[in-house]
Amino acid sequence: MAWEQRRNGNLYYYRSVRDGERVKKEYVGTGEIAELLAHADETIRLSREKRRAQELAERESLEELLAPILEVREAARVLARASLVANGYHNHHGEWRRRREWHDA
Amino acid sequence: MNGTMLELSDAVKDRIRELQRLEKRVEEGEEGARRELRRAVRESTPTVIARCADVSGKSRGMLSEAVSGGSPLIKEALEAKAEAMRTEIAGEDPTPLELLLASDITNLWLVVEMLGAFYAGQFQRRERKGEREHKGATVSGIGFLLKMQESAHRRYLAAVRELAHVRKLQAGAPAVQVNTQVNILGSG
Repeated sequence: MAWEQRRNGNLYYYRSVRDGERVKKEYVGTGEIAELLAHADETIRLSREKRRAQELAERESLEELLAPILEVREAARVLARASLVANGYHNHHGEWRRRREWHDA
Repeated sequence: MNGTMLELSDAVKDRIRELQRLEKRVEEGEEGARRELRRAVRESTPTVIARCADVSGKSRGMLSEAVSGGSPLIKEALEAKAEAMRTEIAGEDPTPLELLLASDITNLWLVVEMLGAFYAGQFQRRERKGEREHKGATVSGIGFLLKMQESAHRRYLAAVRELAHVRKLQAGAPAVQVNTQVNILGSG
């Protein structure tokens, strides 16, 4: 969104509008009406930005809360797998089977 | 949410990596690797489990705090329910590994429930979007929550399966079908 000054010195308000992959410039107007519309556009833009920042902070906070749980999950998974493998099991397409030749040493 | 970062110590992470390396060597059929893995499991289990249990317990406290929204009564109730669930899943006379897996299952159940509540809450907020203070998450924000919930649910089910396998191993049973039922008191 931008104001453009023409050779006559007047300011003209344009919006950037997405048209498929292209972004095109759309003429909105000039004078008081254009100023009001520009103000409204700016308020909407700031509000969206604020919401995005808030959402990002919430995501980071959630990830921080879950990180230790996922870390412990991974450790427990490794420990459980290692216990099974150490005791003669092997994973066959997601199913744990004991080797035929296995005997407890 | 609490800003304190909980994590496993470097020594524990090293032991975990060592177990993974040894497991890989066993799977590749290296002679003597299984014996080495058995020894590593025996030696590492107490340290790894002790630290994991500590982190797991503290994380559960932080989760309950986050889910309760600052209400001490809800936090207390959640912690009591989680503890009852953990004890029930662990069963009678559990080994340290069974206890850790039971703790894992409980935490992940709590995560799934929490994310479900957040997810539902976002829809309610979107419905009330006329109120200035109640703007729901964007579609991508809701998608993120849903993805996290699915991932937590997959991990939850994997932990349940692992506990079943470990129990089967400890029972010394031959390869038979094992059905594990986890009863969650008063869920939903």
